[in-house]
Amino acid sequence: MNFEIQHLVNNYPLILQGLLVTLRICAASLAIGTVLGLVACFMKLEGRGWPYRFAVAYIDFFRTIPEVVLIFWVYSCLPLLFSFRLTAEASGILALSLFASAYLAEIFRAGINSASRGQVQAALALGIPVRVIWMRIIMPPAIRRMMPALISFLSELIKATSLLSAIGVAEMAYQASVLGSKTFAYVEFLSAIAVLYFVTIFPLSLYVRRTNQKLAGKAGH
Amino acid sequence: MEGSRVETSSAAAETPVVISVENIRKSYGSFEVLRGISTEIREKDVTCIVGPSGGGKSTFIRTLNGLEPINEGRIRILDYTLPGWRKETEQLRRSVGMVFQSFNLFMHLTVRENITLGPTAALKVSRDEANARAERLLDRVGIGNQVDKYPGQLSGGQQQRVAIARALAMEPKIMLFDEPTSALDPEMVKEVLEVIRDLAASGMTMLVVTHEMGFAREVAHRVFFMADGVLSVDADPETFFASPKDERHAAFLSKVL
Ligand SMILES: Nc1ncnc2c1ncn2[C@@H]1O[C@H](COP(=O)(O)OP(=O)(O)OP(=O)(O)O)[C@@H](O)[C@H]1O
Ligand SMILES: [Mg+2]
Repeated sequence: MNFEIQHLVNNYPLILQGLLVTLRICAASLAIGTVLGLVACFMKLEGRGWPYRFAVAYIDFFRTIPEVVLIFWVYSCLPLLFSFRLTAEASGILALSLFASAYLAEIFRAGINSASRGQVQAALALGIPVRVIWMRIIMPPAIRRMMPALISFLSELIKATSLLSAIGVAEMAYQASVLGSKTFAYVEFLSAIAVLYFVTIFPLSLYVRRTNQKLAGKAGH
Repeated sequence: MEGSRVETSSAAAETPVVISVENIRKSYGSFEVLRGISTEIREKDVTCIVGPSGGGKSTFIRTLNGLEPINEGRIRILDYTLPGWRKETEQLRRSVGMVFQSFNLFMHLTVRENITLGPTAALKVSRDEANARAERLLDRVGIGNQVDKYPGQLSGGQQQRVAIARALAMEPKIMLFDEPTSALDPEMVKEVLEVIRDLAASGMTMLVVTHEMGFAREVAHRVFFMADGVLSVDADPETFFASPKDERHAAFLSKVL
């Protein structure tokens, strides 16, 4: 087996285009997932009533089913239920947004729940408006504590985009497999995208590891 | 320190009523924590609230600024009424300072920011004025050199003094303290009591839940005894510590004195 770098030199624009699609899908799913996740999070924080129950069911459901099933379902079954067709990329974004929203809702909820009750009461006792309490007392420490979980999830999301190759979305993994089947240079293309995934995701893992170490150090003394 | 008591209770009786509590009740589920409490507090009164654990002292003092909603009865404080609209309760809280057992400082903000947040966010005081207040108050509680530290870098006693300065920065008319020294190491209790004592001497109207009987005897004009959700004794300190009113009171005194 020989590794012919020439294949990569000839076709790298398609791979990079795939990377761009991967990042675009990530950004879109993260944005939509954040909005849906915030809604689900606040509904669940209610603690009772039908919005709460709906949010619990929603979060459990989308955290339980495998992403691939979700992706196929949105792509193949949704058009049967409603008489409209989304493009493959739009279906992919929708599926990943639902997936992201369920995980993000739980991350947001943990962050907000970690806010100190005592500090909130102290702020209330000063007569500080609730809006300011959210902005100055609850959110800043919550965001700091959520960061490692958010970045870990972002890594998962980037990996999950590769599943969209199964419905023909032209993201990076799809481009590599198509190029591979055309040229039979599977080794070259799949190795190349493995490296690209690694350089995208590894810095995120490093960040998470560093931050967790720092947090553990702080808790230590 | 006998001289730090501000006034005798007979002179205090002529000042206006600033808190009037009318038969308030409060339950958690089927458990009634406050069982019909009524009292009046006059301006410049220093009132200590003592009693056995679980008697409802914290719950009572927290109803006075609306942190614990009440189920029945009414509270009038200054020009405000509880229960009331959120805006009114917010207004009330700006005139009634509270100091907690566990300090509850904002750990991600500096000492300065802890103290200036209330005045700037709730009172619309200018940043310069808020900073000036913070520095003046920190000097007053004896930690003027800690203004740019974070609470986590301070000792418990220093943190509680920051918490007192934070409450005073709102220029409240009334101060509520819920066991302000109970979470402190013994060697730090004195420095915090000193600050509270000075505040009493300056004529601040105060309610202090405390287990420090020496402090109550020395600083209070009135002492309340709360047990089982009832305010059963309201007396001047001499009477309170010398002549128990009932068995419960006597049992408590024999335990703490
Ligand atoms: N959030 C709550 N839910 C249920 N019960 C509560 C709650 N808060 C307080 N209680 C109960 O109400 C009673 C009075 O509590 P409170 O804290 O007011 O007593 P306390 O006199 O301040 O006691 P301590 O001296 O231990 O601080 C206790 O029996 C307590 O268990
Ligand atoms: Mg208590």
